[in-house]
This record gives sequence, structure tokens and C-alpha cells, in this order.
Amino acid sequence: MKIFSKIMLVLMFLFLIAISVTEDLVVTNSLKQAKTDCLYIEALSEGKEDVREMDISLAVDDLEEHWKNNESGMCYLVNHKNIQEIGTEISKLKVYQMENELSEFYASLEAIKAYSESYLHFMGASLHNVF
Amino acid sequence: MITIIIRAVIIYLVVLLLFRIMGKRQLGQMQPFELVLTLIIADLATIPMAEVAVPVLHGIVPLFTLVILHFVLTFFTRLSTTFSSILSGKPVIVVNPKGIDYQAMKKLNITVDDILESMRGLGYFSLEQVEYAIMETNGKLSVMPKAEESAVVNKTIDAKVEPNVIPINLVSEGKLMKKNLPVAKVDENFVLDFVKQKTGKSKLKDVLVMTIDKNGQVFLQLKQGEKQIFENVRSR
Repeated sequence: MKIFSKIMLVLMFLFLIAISVTEDLVVTNSLKQAKTDCLYIEALSEGKEDVREMDISLAVDDLEEHWKNNESGMCYLVNHKNIQEIGTEISKLKVYQMENELSEFYASLEAIKAYSESYLHFMGASLHNVF
Repeated sequence: MITIIIRAVIIYLVVLLLFRIMGKRQLGQMQPFELVLTLIIADLATIPMAEVAVPVLHGIVPLFTLVILHFVLTFFTRLSTTFSSILSGKPVIVVNPKGIDYQAMKKLNITVDDILESMRGLGYFSLEQVEYAIMETNGKLSVMPKAEESAVVNKTIDAKVEPNVIPINLVSEGKLMKKNLPVAKVDENFVLDFVKQKTGKSKLKDVLVMTIDKNGQVFLQLKQGEKQIFENVRSR
């Protein structure tokens, strides 16, 4: 085997390791952050009749900003369709929060949490995902 | 559309690189595991090319994985003949001095027509001409003809022959092959002078091909002209 092929094989192997580690870190962190932000919003809005308050509004903005920052990095690694739903739900959540649509607001919050959890589950390396 | 174009270029270059790394085996020479790999690569490459939502890495990562796997399998086939025979199978004798081996034919899932077709491709039109025919692991048939059907070679008749020499290409479609000049022990001036002297053309762009061998035989053909052969041309 030529030296060029050997070097390329080693580089490819290192690339595969690097990309696997990066994917795990980026995707897990991004989804966990989205879930944590949702839990924080949920805690803030618990028992409240009006979700248009400043602290909830800021928390929703934070969720949106964090997601936008993380989404660009995830696009290199994850099928865009898989993460599109979370972005859409965050946009809806913001509107429901501004309009004080309580049931839709909580439904959106739950949807974001569910999507994050489900993607976290099926993106990891497990026997279920392999087969 | 720009995205698809850029993706197509990236995937093309990656697949090209991978095939260069994997070697120069042609489709007909592939072992079963190499054929499988080629088919999967072809399929994998098209997914991120056509589907914009799929990251290019989703195409590249499995391609790299398969190429590494290919080299690992190749390494083990070199290391162990048992592993090699498990992966690629064994050559099977399908024609022997007694005739066609029907059991071997059934095992390989081939027909008599397949054997005859492959034999014809090798220049043997009758089973009587063949002593042995072996189906190789890459699916090609190798034929050993009967002694009386074997081609006569110079060694058989004790003919004295000069060793063959490979001609060196000096000009190809008007372009001077500069890397070949030191091998042929000539320089650019020699080529230009020779062409001008023999054809009257002062520029190489009119030359289709010019070669020289170590015996000093020059083959020269202009784009608009017939071949000319010059013996004992002295190189510098």
C-alpha cells in the first residue's frame, strides 16, 4: 500500500473519531440546553394566569437565542428535518407567550421537551438505534 | 440549486479520492466484497447530493467507514487464506479432462451457455480444445487449453529473438512529453529538429504521435498524415 493511501486512511480514521465525538457533544449539549430552558420557563410560568410577564418573556427569548446559536452548528451534523420541528415550536411558543394563549403555550413547551428528548434518544449510540 | 451543485462537486471529489485510494481494479476484476462496496458507495453518494436537508457529512462518514473497512478486510485476506476463501470464495474447476463438472456448475449457479460464452471470449470455440477451465473468484473464466491447442511461442521453436522494448512517448497530440525526454535520452531540440527534418513542420502541434524505443526506432504520425517509421535514429 502506498504511503499516500496509508496517510489518507489514518486521516479518515481520525476524522471519523473527531466527527463522532463532535456530534455527540454538539447535539447532546444543544438538545439538553433546549430542554433545560423549557424546564426553566415551565418553572417560571407555573400557576400563573398571565405569561406575558417580563421574566417569562426574557426566558423565552433566551430559549430562542440559544436554539438559533446551536442550530447552525447542528446543521452540519444532523438531518435538518429532524431539528426543524423544535425551531418551529419555539417560534410558536413565542407568539403564544405574547398573546397569553396559556393552553397552546404549555402545549408548545411540552412539544419542545418531547422533541428534544426523542432526538436525544435516537441520536445516541444504542442497540435500539443500530438495529 | 447552487447548494446542490456545490454538494455534487464535493461528493464527486470525495468519491474520486476514495476510488484512487482503493486502487485500480476494474469492475470485472472485483472480488465479491469489493463489488458490494462499490455498489454501496454509489448509492450513498447520491443521498446528500440530491437531498438538501441531509448534511454532506451523512454521505462522507459512511463512505470513509466503508473504505476503512475495505482496507481492513483486504489486510486480513492477505494475512489468512482461510479468511480470504470465506470472503471471496475459491476458484472452482468447471471443465476438466472428463468434461464439464455438472456439480461444480450447479454450485456456482451458472449454465453451460455461460461457460461456453466465457470460453468463446477467450478464443476457444469448442470444449474439445479445453483441458481445464477454472471459474475464478472474481467471476472470470481461466482456460488451460489442451497441449495440441496451445499457441506456439518462440521458445517452443527455439527462435532467436531480440528482447522487447517499450517505446517512449515523446509527442502526444501536439504536446511534448517533457518528463519522457530524459528517459529517452533526447532533448526538446532533437524532437523539434527531427519533426522539421522529416515532415517539414516547425511546430509540434501538427504531430499526432511520436515515439522512440531503445533501439532507436521512431514512430511518427502527423494529425493529417500517415504513420512513418524511422530505424536507427541516433539519440544524443
